[in-house]
Amino acid sequence: MARFLIIEDNPANLELLRYLLQHAGHTVQGATNGPDGVAAAEAQMPDLVICDLQLPVFDGYAVLRELRARPASAKLPIIAVTAFSMPDDRRNVMHAGFDGYLSKPIEPEKFVRTMEAFLPPALRLQARTEDA
Amino acid sequence: MDLDAVTPLAKEFPDAIVVLTPAGRVVHWSPAAQAAFGYSTDEAVGQTFDDLVVPGDRTAEQRKMLADTLSGGLLAYESVRRRKDGSLLYVDVTSKVLEARNGDEAPHILSAEKDVTQIKVLRDAKLMDARFRDLLESTPDGIVMANPTGHIVIANTQAERLFGYEPGELRGRSVDLLLPERFRHAHMGHRSNYFLQPRKRAMGSGLDLAGLRKDGTEFPVEISLSPLRTEESEFVMSAIRDISERKRFEHALREKNVELANANQAKDRFLAGMSHELRTPLNAIIGFTGTMLMKLPGPLTADQDKQLRIVQTNARHLLALINDLLDVAKIESGKAEPNLEPVDCRAVIEDVVATLRQQAEAKRLPLHLELPAHSVVLQTDRRALSQIVLNLLGNAIKFTDTGHVRLSLSQTARDGVRQTRIDVQDTGIGIPLQDQTRLFGAFSRVGAPGARAPEGTGLGLHLSQKLAVLLGGEISLVSGDGVGSTFTLTLPDTESNR
Repeated sequence: MARFLIIEDNPANLELLRYLLQHAGHTVQGATNGPDGVAAAEAQMPDLVICDLQLPVFDGYAVLRELRARPASAKLPIIAVTAFSMPDDRRNVMHAGFDGYLSKPIEPEKFVRTMEAFLPPALRLQARTEDA
Repeated sequence: MDLDAVTPLAKEFPDAIVVLTPAGRVVHWSPAAQAAFGYSTDEAVGQTFDDLVVPGDRTAEQRKMLADTLSGGLLAYESVRRRKDGSLLYVDVTSKVLEARNGDEAPHILSAEKDVTQIKVLRDAKLMDARFRDLLESTPDGIVMANPTGHIVIANTQAERLFGYEPGELRGRSVDLLLPERFRHAHMGHRSNYFLQPRKRAMGSGLDLAGLRKDGTEFPVEISLSPLRTEESEFVMSAIRDISERKRFEHALREKNVELANANQAKDRFLAGMSHELRTPLNAIIGFTGTMLMKLPGPLTADQDKQLRIVQTNARHLLALINDLLDVAKIESGKAEPNLEPVDCRAVIEDVVATLRQQAEAKRLPLHLELPAHSVVLQTDRRALSQIVLNLLGNAIKFTDTGHVRLSLSQTARDGVRQTRIDVQDTGIGIPLQDQTRLFGAFSRVGAPGARAPEGTGLGLHLSQKLAVLLGGEISLVSGDGVGSTFTLTLPDTESNR
């Protein structure tokens, strides 16, 4: 079981990701803009941050910079999940220093396992069930 | 040496009177010399004569004349001088040795220099006019011929009209008159260089050169210079063309290009934005359809399951359409760069067949593969090649109900050039000849209307053909109504070209 933070301003997409992760047995915290996301990340210190790129107030790149700039949150794994899917977008995302890139629309059947791959094995749930 | 003390008349003499030391240093500079060369007596005395008024290409000649004067005692010659302002003039020179009055003084050289520029220009003008006038009048360009001092000896009617002068008015004038102030200095530089190395060349190509009309207005020009040697002298012929029209055209073209680039950027931004905005709601649609089909919220009835699968199929179709549209737009804007690497065609084909085999089996359609025993490695784009094969083979299975689908990979030589071909042959419905030309267009569905529900995005073949061209190849088709189709992808054997 792991604690996720999802920073996503679109309510339907936040609901989708939250539903998939919670249904798999994880706990999920949500934030709907850049500053709230940074504050939540610092307060909760989740196991994984899932971050949209286009966000109100400041965007996903700024969230990444803020979190990387502080020693406590510098090593938090942060995955960009975005509907920006032009060829340059993946390169920009990885170059900026995100730990992963996932383009929307996501594949719901694979989503939880893809996210769990970024977690230490002890925190994984689906991979473990399926291995068993 | 105080020459005035020797002969007060020297001061009144109309020709420039100068006295030089044997080393060429100025010791006397008459008022007429001040007028002719532009340097005051104070500026000139003590300086080297060469530095003051002898053009760079004439210094050797000047040195020889001084030596000849010293050895012969008296010499008359013709030469060119440069004024303080840089302009050139012709002089007739008479020079004579002034013997030392007392033993401890070296002999000096007295020179009388007469400005003969105008006399010479007019004499040359008359000569050139007789010889070249008819020829010059017959060319469309303005032609101006100048002598080595930059004075116009002849200008044709076209040149006079171009610059707004009366017939004959330019004769004897400096060519600088035809150039705006800011170009004159550079132009003098051009000219002295030009006489050192006279050869044909163009001025103004690359730099924005302007002509100056008599009324003070400017116009853009292109000037082509060429040397003309006669027995008397050497001239520079300038062919001058008014390029106002061309400049206007170039300017308009540049503005259009900027507009186009802006429009292109706007289009790119629009496409990126559109893609983002369409994907965002699709994420929720595909996502929640998926959660329900995964039965996460609870069990489904058979009807619910069936209907949700229809939603899912159509949502995925919409996504494929968006992806294909973006690919087409990218190729059409010239942004797509093939990512060339050694690609094993056989492996690509086997991957595609693995993806589609189930579809063929579901229709009980035999899928024959004819692959060479050895691997066929090409320098090409893996993703594009895979996309093309997926599309061609997918279509073949889709449009064939009975018979078979056959895919073969082969290497051939055509006109001595090695090619790789991939043939996808089916025994399906075929494509009537009249439909074949528009088959590769976007959204062009062929065949009897309503005969078959549209599947696919309508962009598959269109995109495949564009990708094939991007890889340096093409897709061709042999088909007929009811006799099946063979689509052939031909790729250049880039590996062997390297």
